[in-house]
Amino acid sequence: MAPHSPGTDQIDTLLWIGFVAAAIVIVAINGALIYALRRYRSERGDEPRQIRGGRGTQLRVGAVLTGFAAIVLVLSLIFTDKAREIPTTGSAGLAAAKSAPLKIETTGQQWLWRYDYPNGAFSYYKLVVPVDTTVELDLISTDVIHTWDVPELAPKRDAVPGKTNHVVFRADEEGTFDGQSATFSGQAYAAMRTEVDVVSPAEYEAFVKQQKADIQAAQDRVVGLIEKGEVP
Amino acid sequence: MSANPEVVVDGFPRRRPHWIEVVTSADHKDVGRVMIGAALGFLFIALVEFLLMRLQLAIPDNSLLTPVTFNRMLSLYGATAIFLFALPLCLGLYYYLAPLQVGARGTALPRVGQLGLWLYLAGATVLYAGFLFTPSEAGVNPLAPLSELAFLSNNGVDAWAVSSGLATLGFVLIAINLVATLRRMRAPGMAWRRVPVFAWAAAVSSWLLIVVGTVMLAAITMLLIDRNFDGIFFADGSGGAPLLWAHMSWIFYTGTYMLILITALAAIAEIVPVFARKPLFNRNAVTGSLLAIAVIGTLAWMQNMLTAPIGIGWMYFAMIMSLALIVPFGLIVFNLIATMIGGTLRMRAPLLFAAGAVSMISIGLGAEISHSMVAVAWRLHNTTDATAATHFALVGGAVFGGFAALHYWFPKLTGRTMGEFLGRASFWTLVAGMLLTFVPLFISGGDHGQVADAYKYFSGTGVSTENLIASIGAFVLAIGIILTLVNAIASLGNGGRAGHDHWGGNSLEWFALSPPEPHNFDVLPDVRSDRPMRDIREAVAHRSRRAAKEAARESQPVA
Repeated sequence: MAPHSPGTDQIDTLLWIGFVAAAIVIVAINGALIYALRRYRSERGDEPRQIRGGRGTQLRVGAVLTGFAAIVLVLSLIFTDKAREIPTTGSAGLAAAKSAPLKIETTGQQWLWRYDYPNGAFSYYKLVVPVDTTVELDLISTDVIHTWDVPELAPKRDAVPGKTNHVVFRADEEGTFDGQSATFSGQAYAAMRTEVDVVSPAEYEAFVKQQKADIQAAQDRVVGLIEKGEVP
Repeated sequence: MSANPEVVVDGFPRRRPHWIEVVTSADHKDVGRVMIGAALGFLFIALVEFLLMRLQLAIPDNSLLTPVTFNRMLSLYGATAIFLFALPLCLGLYYYLAPLQVGARGTALPRVGQLGLWLYLAGATVLYAGFLFTPSEAGVNPLAPLSELAFLSNNGVDAWAVSSGLATLGFVLIAINLVATLRRMRAPGMAWRRVPVFAWAAAVSSWLLIVVGTVMLAAITMLLIDRNFDGIFFADGSGGAPLLWAHMSWIFYTGTYMLILITALAAIAEIVPVFARKPLFNRNAVTGSLLAIAVIGTLAWMQNMLTAPIGIGWMYFAMIMSLALIVPFGLIVFNLIATMIGGTLRMRAPLLFAAGAVSMISIGLGAEISHSMVAVAWRLHNTTDATAATHFALVGGAVFGGFAALHYWFPKLTGRTMGEFLGRASFWTLVAGMLLTFVPLFISGGDHGQVADAYKYFSGTGVSTENLIASIGAFVLAIGIILTLVNAIASLGNGGRAGHDHWGGNSLEWFALSPPEPHNFDVLPDVRSDRPMRDIREAVAHRSRRAAKEAARESQPVA
């Protein structure tokens, strides 16, 4: 899985740091454990010396552990802070989003994601965003807690009813990225997937315009049918 | 020693069938025995539910279980594994052993403890009264608002809430009794600095449970009010807050996570010195660390909410608390290994399981280090990577640690020993099963972002191989667990007879008979060190040497 946004880039680095930290801990403990068990195994033999460790040893070991924890903490603070930085729209991005991020209201509902674009168009399941543009998703939920998660593009965030959460990302290349809701939300949870299509700014503009026109046409048709009395 | 005469009773005549005596007894040993037995039974049931879920997830797009059935299995598995297996196993062991270890002749509030057992069994009955209730479909932690009436309108969540509420109330009552007993009924000379590590952990865990258990009871009560009496505690929009449930439940679940690890590490800290025939390397560091884990670990509850709409400051707070745990956990593991070094290690099943538990817990907690880094959680939260980390830590603690304790204390509980061969076979099968099941899940979650708790995954998402291996591993794991359960059942009647001090233990439970008399001890020694049983053995050896010497002198002809 390759990162495709400045934020996920930082997350990826920190993920590797976390992997190394975990590996150090696991290898050190299991190595020492296996060594001790093999080296000092004996069914019989005299009672060994009844050694107890003093406070000094504990303080030294504690200092080493504290140092390790501090290093991990500082590295996570640094990279988490970098991952939170809001990137600015690049030169290839959408001109309208140069000063402020492109805001798209994202609604989680059992078991579908709805995206509301600034011009009033909306889409279900598929989110279309322009490349190299800072996009801010305002996450809300109309029913239970959902988590919007497209790991290649953005950090995952919960959509909680009654609160607004924010996801910011800037896709660095065109393409399709898959995502899946990541908080258990009931029956069709596993099927609550989403897809982000990153396209050029021109295609994005065309898409939202077309989408809006299509929605309007569909609405007009329904209203027309109701007026004609064909739909009760 | 007091010179007062002691009344010594050598068994009461039984008036009722044995099993009625046991289940109606308020004696801490009978209550503890029933709890441990019931907990191991529910381990088997949880295992069956886990296997059914793994069967469903063996291949992509599987339709073996319907989504609803899968979600019911998931919810039952979570409730069974935590409320009906892990917690009662820990508490049952504490309740049986801690009074013996501190030289008490019973508990301070026996009827309160008995009520605790019955509430736990009542909770278990409610959860599995499937003919009256449909099981919950709300997941392992039934997060509001999904668990509200508007989204799950059948009575499954109510059954879950009542059953976990009853069980939690029972655990809190037992914890209260343990606190009172350990505070007031220690033998003469049994100062806190000499209390066995496991009894110390019993006190720490009891206090922890009194705090987090009551928080959970409050949350469950609020959920029941929401569902049945038009409450709005967790409902959005009318003054309620969905995140309130998240906070309250995660405080409990995080505290429980810590309690399981505290229990396992404390049992291991009893086992390792006995099997290495050396004292614990530094007792104060271990007891202090156990206390620190209880406090700091529980304060890290928001580690489960790093993707929720809470301020970044709270996330950093959770991360600092989680990473601070490296120090106490590291110190305990260091002291355990330092105790082994220079010893003469008898590689019997208890030590094997104890070492396995340390190894599995180290893998789980090692992975948890990365999960507690805020930005990493933004990637790995709720993936199967998190599932794997939690299972390494908690199966390492509750199953490996629990089995270590079971093998170690089985002679005391039953007067018989568990089979060594089956113990070894079970251990190696379990190790293979753990690695086969959960290492692939680390990869599918960490590398491909497979989400946890989902009833299926789609083909083409790159996680099919991992899940197939994990499903096969789950069956290996199951064989390992079943081997030990069979071993325990078979050894109840057929195990070799064990003496009162089967392993050459250090603490006072080995001074009582196996199994102990209802009053625990006929006489109590003055406790003068943190290894009173060893002192007794040495005094006896010294006395018999002197007696032999004097006998030899007396038989000499007078010069």
